[in-house]
Amino acid sequence: MDKGSELRRDGDWAVLRIWGEVDLSWSQDVRRQVLEAYAKVKSLAVQLDGVSYIDSSGIAALVEGFQHARSKGGRFALLAPSEAVRAVLELARLDRVFPIFTDLAAARAA
Amino acid sequence: MSAPPLLRIEFPARAESLAEVRAAVQRALATQHIDARIAARIVLAIDEACANIIRHAYRGCGDGRIALRIERHRERLRFRLRDRAPAVDPGCVKPRDLSECRPGGLGINIIDETMDHWRLRPLKRHCGNVLTMVRRLHARKA
Repeated sequence: MDKGSELRRDGDWAVLRIWGEVDLSWSQDVRRQVLEAYAKVKSLAVQLDGVSYIDSSGIAALVEGFQHARSKGGRFALLAPSEAVRAVLELARLDRVFPIFTDLAAARAA
Repeated sequence: MSAPPLLRIEFPARAESLAEVRAAVQRALATQHIDARIAARIVLAIDEACANIIRHAYRGCGDGRIALRIERHRERLRFRLRDRAPAVDPGCVKPRDLSECRPGGLGINIIDETMDHWRLRPLKRHCGNVLTMVRRLHARKA
């Protein structure tokens, strides 16, 4: 299964795009990438439109990013979560907790 | 006489096994013409159960194995996961309060929300645990 990630800078934000299936075999790596991104910026958006599957360990990586931002006065956003991601966020009732936007421009404007 | 299983597999208790397990469960559910949304939830719940066995029962050591059996009894699907890890105290395995925003511990909530009932039972005579989960196909749960 094709999976991967890329990190790009866009002004004062970093955007981590991840795609493929995020499960226990990869979620620790995603977690590390999320936390490492905060070494360079205070605002991070994770783009999730290409994520075809995510389990609770992948969701935990996102929660850590969110909590890190809150504790350090930074910002955290999810961009365009796929239907698969949305379903798990809703199940965990995190769709009401995470700032979710269609794109970076919307996150910036919020 | 019980019906033949829809799926009967055994696999290494490693995170790298999970993608293949999900695909096998997906194929088995497809033969039963189950609604795609319900099938996706069931696949997720089984993945979470396997991940819990790998992380918490075997403690990530990677040497163990997990056996999965799926059966259909009329309008019920029955999932049985068996491991050979040290006995787990079922009293310690419970859903957590979802109003707390913290990483981890969501797997049991996902199983609990997806299945109509489940039971974790440590084996008395042999090393291992059996997790049995049942899902009605026309249940109110999504």
